[in-house]
Formats: sequence, structure tokens, C-alpha cells
Amino acid sequence: MAEKVLNIATDQGVDAEAFLLHNRELSIEVNNAQVETLKQAEEIGLGIRIIKNGCLGFTYTSDLADNAIITAVKNAINIAQFTTPDEHNSLPKKQENYPELGFLYDDEFNTINIDEKINLAKRVEEIAQNYDNRIKIVESATYEDTEFSSLIVNTNGLYACEKANYGGIYVFLVAEEQGIAENGYAMMVNRKLYDINPELVAKEATQNALRSLNAKRIDSAQLPSIMEPYIMTKFMGLIAQMINANAVQKGKSLFANKEGEIVASPIFNLVDDGLLQDGIASFPFDSEGVGSRKNDIITKGILQGFLYDTYTANKAGINSTGNAARGSFRGLPTVGTTNFTILPGDKTPKSLISDIEKGFYITEVMGMHTANPVSGDFSVGAAGIMIEQGELTYPVRGVTIAGNLIDFLQDIDAIGNDIRFFGGRSSPTIRLKSLSIGGE
Amino acid sequence: MLNKNVLTKILDIALKKGGDFAEIYVEEKTVNNIFCEDNKIERINGGIEKGAGIRVINAGNTAYVYTNDLTESGLLNSAITASNALVNANSAPISNINLQVRKPNYTLDCLKQPDNMGIEDKITKILDANKLARNISEEIRQVTIAIGDSKKKLQIANSNGVYVEDERLRVRLIANIVSGRDNLIQTGYESAGGVCGLELLDEFSLEALAEKAANLSLNMLDAKPAPAGKMPIVMAAEAGGTMVHEACGHGLEADLVQRGLSVYNKKGEKVANEKVTVIDDASIPSKYGSYVFDDEGEVGQKTILIENGYLTNYMYDYLTAEKDKVKSTGNGRRESYQHKPIPRMSNTYIAPGFDKPDEIIKSTKKGLLVKKMGGGQVNTTNGDFVFEVSEGYLIEDGEVQYPVRGATLIGNGPIALTQIDRVANDIGYAIGTCGKDGQGVPVADAQPTIRIKELTVGGTAIDHDNLTIKRIRRK
Repeated sequence: MAEKVLNIATDQGVDAEAFLLHNRELSIEVNNAQVETLKQAEEIGLGIRIIKNGCLGFTYTSDLADNAIITAVKNAINIAQFTTPDEHNSLPKKQENYPELGFLYDDEFNTINIDEKINLAKRVEEIAQNYDNRIKIVESATYEDTEFSSLIVNTNGLYACEKANYGGIYVFLVAEEQGIAENGYAMMVNRKLYDINPELVAKEATQNALRSLNAKRIDSAQLPSIMEPYIMTKFMGLIAQMINANAVQKGKSLFANKEGEIVASPIFNLVDDGLLQDGIASFPFDSEGVGSRKNDIITKGILQGFLYDTYTANKAGINSTGNAARGSFRGLPTVGTTNFTILPGDKTPKSLISDIEKGFYITEVMGMHTANPVSGDFSVGAAGIMIEQGELTYPVRGVTIAGNLIDFLQDIDAIGNDIRFFGGRSSPTIRLKSLSIGGE
Repeated sequence: MLNKNVLTKILDIALKKGGDFAEIYVEEKTVNNIFCEDNKIERINGGIEKGAGIRVINAGNTAYVYTNDLTESGLLNSAITASNALVNANSAPISNINLQVRKPNYTLDCLKQPDNMGIEDKITKILDANKLARNISEEIRQVTIAIGDSKKKLQIANSNGVYVEDERLRVRLIANIVSGRDNLIQTGYESAGGVCGLELLDEFSLEALAEKAANLSLNMLDAKPAPAGKMPIVMAAEAGGTMVHEACGHGLEADLVQRGLSVYNKKGEKVANEKVTVIDDASIPSKYGSYVFDDEGEVGQKTILIENGYLTNYMYDYLTAEKDKVKSTGNGRRESYQHKPIPRMSNTYIAPGFDKPDEIIKSTKKGLLVKKMGGGQVNTTNGDFVFEVSEGYLIEDGEVQYPVRGATLIGNGPIALTQIDRVANDIGYAIGTCGKDGQGVPVADAQPTIRIKELTVGGTAIDHDNLTIKRIRRK
């Protein structure tokens, strides 16, 4: 099929790339020890990128019949006559030897019986329900696994093909005391089926809900603040856009022209590693077939560089960093992160708290998608626990935290020696000197 | 499109091992997007995707299977998978399914088919808007203009004999402007969208959207940091309805109510100020959340959720309606064939009242005027919601003063609804993509100019004098 795309393109004298993605998914949601929703899915699709005299055309199709593919290629070539020519549009060259990653595929996902997968979800629910009598509702306990194969070929002779799988469990629950209800959530995603641990997930979600009960409101203040790893990974979504070469080149990043400069606290180290051992986002090549690698982004607070795909790298006159990403076969590749990691520091999370006389320990943020990656401004809802005399005291909700990411990164004054992964992002516990908290 | 005999056969197979209900949803979606950034037509994307989702329900539990393989054998295989996935189905198979075409209650017209406008003409409009925005000021650093249209052809058939065919056109226009001064960068975003054809461009020209977004981003360069703390909030009609969507819309979706996950399990009770009436209406012509049939083949309708402060109804899909033994309100929606339908909003709004917008501002001594809202989020379990203020102004002594930036508002749904003390006689819409359970669906929200007695503003400018006064008062 992919060959067909290239043959038509060659006949028409244009450069072409075929991206074929096959995806299989299983999701089991359990409620009261019954399978409430079982979803099985299979999806296949082809994305076609054409470059004709520097002009870009793109189409996709889920119909892989001969005539549908021919139509899609012709449409992509047709579209290319309307886009603005750009000398930096090019397809990657043929790549030699992609790295071999032995951990991408765990056959156990295919060999075990579906009942065992159902049991994983049931276990999470059962443990959570019986953990504490204040856990009133387990909203959902879910097992999910995904397997995908990706094939990329282009008219430069590039050929890349690999498959991977992973699975995980998720739980949402509600604790209630004196008529007031609070949520708890936890997840675990793993490359190895037998590393998935329902006890840990159930306990974490339960504790998250229980610690939020009987929350108070507080007055507005400027306080030293601690971000749990999960909260920090949400902020990393904003950072990811600021170090994206596409945003940088278009004047949409506060980090533009700051390579080699201090952009964060000297204890802050940020890397993106497409080959990370057991990483959920690890893959031998990126979404246009360029070999994956590890990229240092911020080292000891100094900005080392940005993440590039082939187009943005051409524009900058350097090599792609292997960060072309696509969410599906339906779009062109853009710049994206892989395993995006803040490196752990040397202090225990506990000591980060015990140093604070009065502060705020943040356990939840709301409306993170409203933060602005271009201006760096964020103002989001938050909940957490007050720190007094070095101890976690009472829970707080209904407040906001606000600031600008530039100040945020400079204000980091301690980093924990813990690290937690949430999908492709991971972070230790982080402490800020001061943060604006909006309350009563 | 598949013929009815094939669909019937698939439903029969899906129910072979028992089950109370089976459904097949077939979708063919064509998408066209033109995207201009960096002063050039950077991307044109087009694509076509076909797929089907088969659902079997037994005793409230669901098996859902989807596939891109729309051949008869492919679909029958998926039906078998769905049937096998049902654990402990014990009801007898339903037989003699007789598919009857369901008639719509109304139509949503498309005056200008997007296919009839050439790519060149769309590009001309886009480039004109790009040029206009760039000429407004030297501080404009980046301009993004996009037109997207999509066509979804649907076929839905279920074991209750419902058969629906539908075609939905949707158009969306976007202008995003970045302006900068020294190290400060601000953005302005404007969008318009509807279930309609390119006549949308007559109502909202791309140039006008671009100009508005450009002025907003420039305006925000001059803005002062927003205050932090509680204060009265006036929301202009033009700000749209993100607040109502988050503060009560989600909590009135029947699945959340039935699971005990909503603070609004209070049907018949007073939950809002008597000036407040909240309505969800899929039948409004050309709005972004409109539809003739929902994604389960139920006819779209207008549902009064809160009437004069009293909670009157929830939004139901088929499954939750069965559970409450009521009729679906036509709110069963899904992002695509890859998702099972769940209760979702369509076009949700607070109905206009009798106050005059100007007088609401004039009667506010100190507060925040919200002229444009961005995204939001709600925790339906405790009712806390947030939404972004993308254009805000401080009100002092009834007069609109300077613009402020960086403010999110946080409040609690049930409390905020009782604190709406003014409702004006105007109305304004905003469009969005609403996310729930990993599914995004297009919605519109609207409201008149309203005032909420107090919400917490999440700015960075903390007024320490004010804090002290507040503390004393509390003692």
C-alpha cells in the first residue's frame, strides 16, 4: 500500500511520504465487580505527505482500497499547488540502522486471558472500596492496553517499521464525610503487563481523596509552594510548547533567542529522551522516520537548545533532533516531546516540606489548558494542603495560583530525589520560593 | 452507506448471545482545513475516514467495538466480538428487528456548500485577513488564520427499530494573534463556528475576527496584572457561556447525577436565584452545538434544565434515560465512531432577563468586568469550577477602568448560581470543544450580561490593605 503511494508520486515527479498506522485497543471499565463497558477497537489509516517544488500537500484516508489511495495521493498533489512554497520543506534522508529497543513489546498482553485483565480492574475497585469507609463511590476502575504498528516510507528511500504496546490501570473515586465529597485519582501505565500494580494505584487514589476532605478556604497570599510530581507534569505541558522550535521560529515562545542563557534555577535540569529504557514514549524513530535520541534542553538552568523536526531543523540550519510527532495518521508531523523529564535533585520530598514555616503543598490544579504557553501567563484553580511549621496540616480548596512561567522556573529553590512517570512526562517534587495564591 | 438488510443482520448477530439492546453507528467524515501562519499558506489538510461502532447493552452494561472495516464480513466479525464481550448475558435474543426511518422534527439548513467554494477563494479571504491584522500595528508578531469545514454522513440503526440517516456540515473560523513589546508577549483569539455552510463567512468575516483578535492582543499588552481575591463579577453577554457550561451544565448530565458524582442531585429543588433559567437546545439554527438527531438517533430538542431557579430536568442519553425510566432528551453524543455515546450538552444558555446591561455595570461599585472568557473546567463532585478571563476590565464606582490580564475565576457552582443577582435582556454566544471522558464534542454556550455577587479572582496583584480589612470584618 505504502509502495503504491511512492510509485504514483514518482510517476508524477514529486517527493512523497506514506505514514501507515495500525492501532488496536482494549478498554475494560468495571463497576460493582461487573464489566460495565468493554471496548475493543481496531483502526488503520494512511497519511500522505507530498512536496512539490517546495509546496506541501497532505491528505489522509482510512480506506485502503486501491482507488481510495490513488484518489488520496492525487488530492495531496492537487493541494500542494495552493500552499506557499518553502525551501525548508523536505523529507528526511534514508536513515541507517535504527537503535534496537528490546522493551517495546510485551507478548504477555496477547497471551493472557481477557479475564485476567478484567480482574486487574476488579482488584483496583475492590481494594479501593474496602480501604476506608469514607470511600463512597468508585466512579470508574479501568484497565486499558494499546498496540500499534507504524510504517514510514518516503521517496528518499527511507524505510522505518516497528511495533509497540503498553497497558495500564486508572481509577477515579469519591470520598465523603459530613455530606462533602472529594475526588481521588491515580493511574499506572507500563510497558510490562506484570509490572502493573492494582494495590499501589488503589491506595494512591484513596489517599488522594481522603487527604482532601474537610478542606478550608484561605485568604490570598504569597507563599512558598511545593508541587507534587503529577502537578509539575501538567506545567511541563506549557514548557513543552516553549521549547518547541516551531513556536520559537514563529515568535511564539518566550525562550526565543535565549539559547545559552539562564532561563531557570541553577538546580533545574530538563531532558527529552526518545530512547529512555522502558519509557512509554520510547520508539526507535520519530513520526517522519528520523532516529530517536536523547536531547538535553535545560542544564543547570541554562537553555541548551530546542526540539526540532526536519522542517524546523532545515530552517535553523541544523539536524532534526528526532522530535517529529503526530497524534494519528490524520495530520502532518509537528514538533513534540517524547519522554520528557525533569531530573531528580538530592533532597527527600519530606525535607522540602520540613524547611517551610508557612507554605502551600499543591495536589490539584484545574483549568491547566487555559494557561497561555505563548505569554507564559498562568492562572489556574488549585487545591492542596497548608504547610505550617514544617508539617502538612489542613486541606485547602477553591483557590487559584497565578504567575508567569519565566518567574516560575527561576523561583525553583529545591528539587526532590523522587521521580514519578505520568505517561511520557516525569518529574520529581518541586519547591518554589514564592507563588501568588488567590483566595478569599 | 449500508443497506438496511445488512444493518439488521448485524444487529441480529450482535444480540445472538442475548442483551437488551444493540446499535450500529456508521460514520463517513470528510475534513478540509486551510491554515495560514508566518505570512503564508502553511498547511492544507484534507482527509476521509470511515468507520463503524457496534454497541450491545445488557442489564446496563455495555460492549463497544469499532472498526474501519465496513465490509459486511468485517462488520459481522465486529458484531460477533461485541456479542462475545458481554459477560453473563442471559436475556433471550431479540428477533424480528424492523427498522423504521425516523423523521426529524426540524432541519438545519446549509445555504452555501463548502465544496462549492474553490480553495483559491478561501485562500484569498484568509490572506486578506492576515494582511489586515499585520497592518494594524508593528507590535503584531504572529498571525494565524484558519478555515476548517467538515462533513459527517451518519447512519444509525438499533434493535428498537430506530433507523436514522443524517448529514452534518460544520464550519469553523479561527484568528489567533500574537503581539509583543520587549519581553512581554500577549495573544488574542477569536473564533466562530456553526452547523451550517460557508454562509457563516457572511455573518462573521475572517477580517473582522482577525481585527478583533489583533486589538485584543494589543490591548492586553497595556493591561495591568489582575487582582487576587473575592469580588463582584459582571459578565458581558459577548463573553459567551463558559461559566454556565462549567458551573452547572456538566453537573446536570444524567450519568454524573446517577453515579452520585454531581452536586445537582436535587430535582425540583431551588438551586439558583429566581432570575436564572438554564436551557439546553440542540435545535437552534446554525449554532456550533446544534443537530437534528443526536448520535443515538434521538431527535434533537430543547430541554429546560433550571426554570426560575428550580431544577426541572437533566440531560439524558438512551442508557441513563432507561435507568431513570424517562425518555432520552436527545443528548446522547459521541466524538466519533470510536466512542460510545454519553450525555452531553448541545447549545446551553442562561435565558435573557429584564435588566439593562449598562445599568448592571453602573450599579457595581467595585468589581471585574469579563468581556471574553476562555476555557474552563469543573470538578462535578464538589462543584468547584474555574474559567479563564481572556479579556477583563476593572470596574470602579460603576465605571469601566483599565484592562487586566492573567485572571482565572474560581467559584463553586451551586453557590455561584444563587449569587447571580442581575440578568440582562441581551444574549451572546461562544463556541468550544467540550471534553468529557476523553471525548471532545462541539458545543455552543450563551448567556446575557449577568452579575455574580462574588467569585474569587486569581490574579497576581494582591491587595494587602484589603486583606487586613477583610480579616477584621470576619472577627
